[in-house]
Amino acid sequence: MNGTRHGTTEELLALRDGEGGAWVKAHVGSCGACAAELYRLEQVRARLRALPTFFPPRDRWAVVAERARVERRSGRWSRAVGLAAAASLAGLLLVAVRGTRPDPLQARVQLRSAMARSEAMEQVLRGLDPDGRALDGAAAGVVADLQGRLEALDAKLGDPAEWRAAPHRQTEMWNERAGLLSALVDVHTTRVAYVGL
Amino acid sequence: MTVMADTIPLAEAHSLVARARAGDSGALEHLYRAYEGSVYTLARRLTRTPEDAEDVLQETFLEICRSLSRWRGEGSLWGWVRQIAASKALMRYRREKLRATEVLDDDPAERAGDDVPLRLDLEAALRRLPERTRTVVWLHDVEGMTHEEIAELMGMTTSFSKSQLARAHQKLRGWLGEEGADR
Repeated sequence: MNGTRHGTTEELLALRDGEGGAWVKAHVGSCGACAAELYRLEQVRARLRALPTFFPPRDRWAVVAERARVERRSGRWSRAVGLAAAASLAGLLLVAVRGTRPDPLQARVQLRSAMARSEAMEQVLRGLDPDGRALDGAAAGVVADLQGRLEALDAKLGDPAEWRAAPHRQTEMWNERAGLLSALVDVHTTRVAYVGL
Repeated sequence: MTVMADTIPLAEAHSLVARARAGDSGALEHLYRAYEGSVYTLARRLTRTPEDAEDVLQETFLEICRSLSRWRGEGSLWGWVRQIAASKALMRYRREKLRATEVLDDDPAERAGDDVPLRLDLEAALRRLPERTRTVVWLHDVEGMTHEEIAELMGMTTSFSKSQLARAHQKLRGWLGEEGADR
């Protein structure tokens, strides 16, 4: 043994975390008991990190979204967010006003862009092999909801009667489709990150 | 497995937060879906009951909605979200004032079992730690927060955080039946 005492738990934890002092570093090199204790502390940390992830038993998003909406209306959100929202609304209004005099070329560009986004997200989703993954109840519920909305949207996109009278509606639906696919990708990538699938 | 890595790349996080600040509820939901598991897991580890953890999850995301403009994008988005979640869990703990002067040795449940031979699994042993001590262990050993960050979050000194961690590991060693013969 190097020295007249063993390293304390606090000293060994500091060493484990890469912060140990010179004495404890030298001591552990020559003391089997402290080396074993250091290894045990590393193992406990590894085991703590390997404990299972929890998932909320109920989907709280609807509650959060509703309360956030109420708070926002009552002005509780920060002024910066409010101003940003106002700016966004102004932007939307501008788009709406401009939308009353559609530029056919611009409309075609927007439609192609929306379709390309949708196709890109679809490719990403296919790459995640969503059908081959196990999902917990909450995630499976979200996926089922998103897929249901996607199927309904595809049905509308496949029926020109839904959008022929208002061509910009077709672009909106393709944008919505890209958004739904993006959300599906999020659910699956989040699941991958959480459980290491 | 508990993996607390950031699930949203920084560039995407900037874009999402910008959209959420602009009132895009889809972006907010995206943030919620990305982090709900991590926040709930953290809350489960820091609070006493699943119901408390659900409340912390909800309060955390409401706070995120209110405070989006405060995220400067300088650190990871998960680091910011985690800070809010841990703070909400600690606020709940303080509000309840169940153990206002709690230190490890003063926990009645723990004291009652100190002289009883134990061989608990890690889950049970972790649950047996007092909340404040468990919080230090979880934030440091699992979340990777420094003692300085924990001290700031919990309103205590770094030396207190270090000593709580050390004493917690001593307790865990005993409860897990891993007492070293030579130490």
